Amino acid sequence: MTKIILCIDMDAFFASVEQQSNPKLRGKPIAVIGLGGRTVITTRSYEARKFGVKTGMNVYEAKKLCPHIIFVVGDNEKYTHTCTELQKIYLQFTPDVEAYSIDEAFLDVTTTHHLFGGPEAIGYSIKKQIKDQFGITCTAGIAPNILIAKLASDIAKPDGLRWIKPEDVEAVLEELPLKELWGIGSRLTEKLGAFGIKTCGQLGRAPVSLLRNKFGIMGEHLKTMGMGLCNRPLYVHEEDPKSVGHSITFPKDLSDRKDIEAEILKLSEMVGRRARRYCFTGRKVTLVVRYPDFQTFSRQTTLPDYTSHTHEIYKSALSILNGIRLRDNVRLLGVSLSDLVRERHQILLFEEQRREKALLQTMDTVNDKFGDFKLIWASYLEQKEPPRVISPAWKPSGIRHIRVRN
Amino acid sequence: MHIGEAISVIASFGLPYKIRPVRFKWNGRLFEVKEITYSWQTKEGQTKVYHFSITDGKTLYELSFDIVSLLWHIERLEV
Repeated sequence: MTKIILCIDMDAFFASVEQQSNPKLRGKPIAVIGLGGRTVITTRSYEARKFGVKTGMNVYEAKKLCPHIIFVVGDNEKYTHTCTELQKIYLQFTPDVEAYSIDEAFLDVTTTHHLFGGPEAIGYSIKKQIKDQFGITCTAGIAPNILIAKLASDIAKPDGLRWIKPEDVEAVLEELPLKELWGIGSRLTEKLGAFGIKTCGQLGRAPVSLLRNKFGIMGEHLKTMGMGLCNRPLYVHEEDPKSVGHSITFPKDLSDRKDIEAEILKLSEMVGRRARRYCFTGRKVTLVVRYPDFQTFSRQTTLPDYTSHTHEIYKSALSILNGIRLRDNVRLLGVSLSDLVRERHQILLFEEQRREKALLQTMDTVNDKFGDFKLIWASYLEQKEPPRVISPAWKPSGIRHIRVRN
Repeated sequence: MHIGEAISVIASFGLPYKIRPVRFKWNGRLFEVKEITYSWQTKEGQTKVYHFSITDGKTLYELSFDIVSLLWHIERLEV
């Protein structure tokens, strides 16, 4: 049976939410930025895009291109709540929904579309519900697989709907530039261009041997992409993570050792808490350090046993730090726990271990009831919590659902 | 501009919107909610807070309603 996949992609999501919230921003070039001093544009309105303003630009670059651009500090809680509500709309039409990112989802309506008048009817219904409920728009792409569904939504943006049927795929891809296809970036485009492959049609007809020679096993995958084929299933049920981690970019580079250790403690608590909440333990602790010149490195250590205890994660991360001679101040720190397994309920032999476990459980219970960091380690009392960025891995539910503050 | 003050609000409860502020009193003045431009929810522990971005036609306000304390707050305003 040929699959029918919908790709729902919100139009300039964060910017649209801000323009809907504040009528004075509607129709104007706006860019959503973070709160810290080191901030770049996370998204921009369609009015700003006309001036060449791009995601990732800093505010000075954007202002140069569009002098009357309005910068709006992002409200992460608004966006994450909206995303969670959007999932409820999608689930009306099929249980097979993958929240690919905060503003994009894939729906498999192969076995359900006939209940709702067909895939186009579903697409239009979703668009209408989103517009009625939130006042913002999305674009729907419909196709036999997620690769072409994503292409369909990209072509139809903004506030559009496009159905690329199986018999139309070849014609759509024939003259399509390579970089328009999901998964082919500028580097790959350049490398393929060296072989005279500039369009998806050419890629689909390219000899497998040539592609395999240059790109290894990836070469075969590239050819199938050029042909508009894609076997990637929807990830409807969340896979177990390979690691749980958190990192922070500091508003001001850290030089004081005590401050660095306090931040590592905080990160260890965030990692441990999330691992405990979802019943994971891990054996490898990684510390990531970034200097002001952006040089970044990580070091890892393996623990004698699996853990999700904050202090064990902290002690490991600290031991890694003690083995490094920092050559400069610190711009970013990250702590992660990997080599994860589902929690094994061990009988703890020593009183100290039992007390530590009871303490962590109590802290988790209090913080679950009253909010994160309501009960914290004393060494972290004087630190100000920096605002958090929505990670690309963020999901509306499960272990990747992290509460992002403003 | 961040404010964070408790206020008195007249609200309407019903479907499909569940709860909507209609009028509020702040600093002795009465404000009419002309439009709810956006609404969202946040959670702090087990406490759920409803947020509303509203305008009286001139100024944009953010109101919040804590379902545990049953208190309304004016969080911020933008002239």
